[in-house]
Amino acid sequence: MADLRDLLGGIVEDVDAVCLFAPSRSYYKAFADVEVPVIVIARENGVEADSFVELPLDFPDIRERIRFGLEGALDDGYLDDEQVVACATRVFDDGIDTVARVDAGEFSESGVYELFSESRADPNVIRDVFEVAIELGKKGQKGKQVGALFVVGDAGKVMNESRPLSYNPFEKSHVHVGDPIVNVMLKEFSRLDGAFVVSDSGKIVSAYRYLEPSAEGTDIPKGLGARHMAAAGITRETNAVCIVLSESDSLVRAFQGGELILELDPEAY
Amino acid sequence: MVGQITVTELLTALRKLLTERVDLFVGILIFLLALVAGAVTRRYVRGALRELDIPEAVAGTPFERTARRLGTSTVGVLANLCGLFVLVVGGLITLRIVHTIPQDLLTLRITDFFRQLFIAALVVVVGVIVGDKLELYLRERLRGVKVPEAGVLPLLTKYSVFYIASLIALSQIGIATRPLLVLLAAYVFGLVFIGGLAMKDLLAAAAAGVYLLLTEPYAIGDEVKLDGHRGIVQEVDTFVTHIEAEGEEYVVPNDRVFRRGVIIVRE
Repeated sequence: MADLRDLLGGIVEDVDAVCLFAPSRSYYKAFADVEVPVIVIARENGVEADSFVELPLDFPDIRERIRFGLEGALDDGYLDDEQVVACATRVFDDGIDTVARVDAGEFSESGVYELFSESRADPNVIRDVFEVAIELGKKGQKGKQVGALFVVGDAGKVMNESRPLSYNPFEKSHVHVGDPIVNVMLKEFSRLDGAFVVSDSGKIVSAYRYLEPSAEGTDIPKGLGARHMAAAGITRETNAVCIVLSESDSLVRAFQGGELILELDPEAY
Repeated sequence: MVGQITVTELLTALRKLLTERVDLFVGILIFLLALVAGAVTRRYVRGALRELDIPEAVAGTPFERTARRLGTSTVGVLANLCGLFVLVVGGLITLRIVHTIPQDLLTLRITDFFRQLFIAALVVVVGVIVGDKLELYLRERLRGVKVPEAGVLPLLTKYSVFYIASLIALSQIGIATRPLLVLLAAYVFGLVFIGGLAMKDLLAAAAAGVYLLLTEPYAIGDEVKLDGHRGIVQEVDTFVTHIEAEGEEYVVPNDRVFRRGVIIVRE
């Protein structure tokens, strides 16, 4: 009878590094004597690991989660692209229950890590906007599906290159995304047409904004509507990041540099 | 007629007691009352502190941890202290009624002294808790600041609070605190004067920033000429304004906006 360890051990054979996704303290301690480098990928560095990549969202989709973690580790220089990595993560309950073997070389970068680390806006601000968009997508407005467009970062240029559709409800108000009141306010304002503009530090600068970028050279999947086209266009012309909640399929998509970077299903959160 | 006799005897005994030993009788009564009042106070204070969410507020402070190790809690210590005070006051009144200590000593010193001691103990307990809590709060707030020196600030705050609390307590029980007071004055002067000197520019910028945030003469996205730099406003916060032009971002302190004025460009 074949030993299961021999059969399944191939997954972790000759790996160059181990990525632990949100390990508990004792779980991490048990890896102290492993010969290969250990990289911790979690919401916060609770285990005080030396190699740490911050995971801004929980990413219920395991592929998105591993992709983000590995791109972060590659970007921070914990890995290089010829290494094979074992990723230990959680799929079902609390605690690590799954191991995946990933070849960092065969892995095409989607830029999901750069979406957070290379953007003008603070990574926490982008995370907060994502959370608002996901929340909005999950609940909708009075049970009805809504769409929304958030332009995050480089607000001065975005404001300079767009025009108001109506008076700005956020004028002289100093609310930041992540403030508890914002979830309620944005839900109400999501009925309005136009885009929300959020500054680098997370201040909500304006609502009701009509973006007028040229769509020239934007490359987004066919079938996405005007809202997505405007989002892709403005990220090409400015250094902003756009987070869009689609009204038709209620997915949350992120654009940077005119390209679709990330697609999330709010229902999974 | 046995019952009749006992009742008469009891009444005689009681009369005797009331006439000859009335002080003792009243004294014992008052002491018993004080016992009850002490217990009630203890219970009431405990309830009131719980109602005010004191247990949550002091959770995690070293004082609470020490109290827990000794098998009690902050709330328990405070409640016991109040109960004890009532009991001691009752005891003193009893002693006074049964004339066991000289009258003038009693009225003047001991009662006053106990009251002061009680207040001093209360001040110390509250001071220790407030100091610990402040330290915890500041440590939590400064956690994101990765400068080793930042750890000094919470400690400094904690010991400042301890110092003031002990000063109040000592002056309560009548110990000369003048040298300590002089030291405190020097410390506060240093803090205000030197700190004020060091933060002069920051304070000026913040004062101007408050005005700018409230009235918003220029907003994010406006093109302005500020302190010799022309560009688009990217961010206005309490201390600085960020303006950007052709890939260069100028960070201008807000007091400059006031000193030099600002030109808002409208084509």
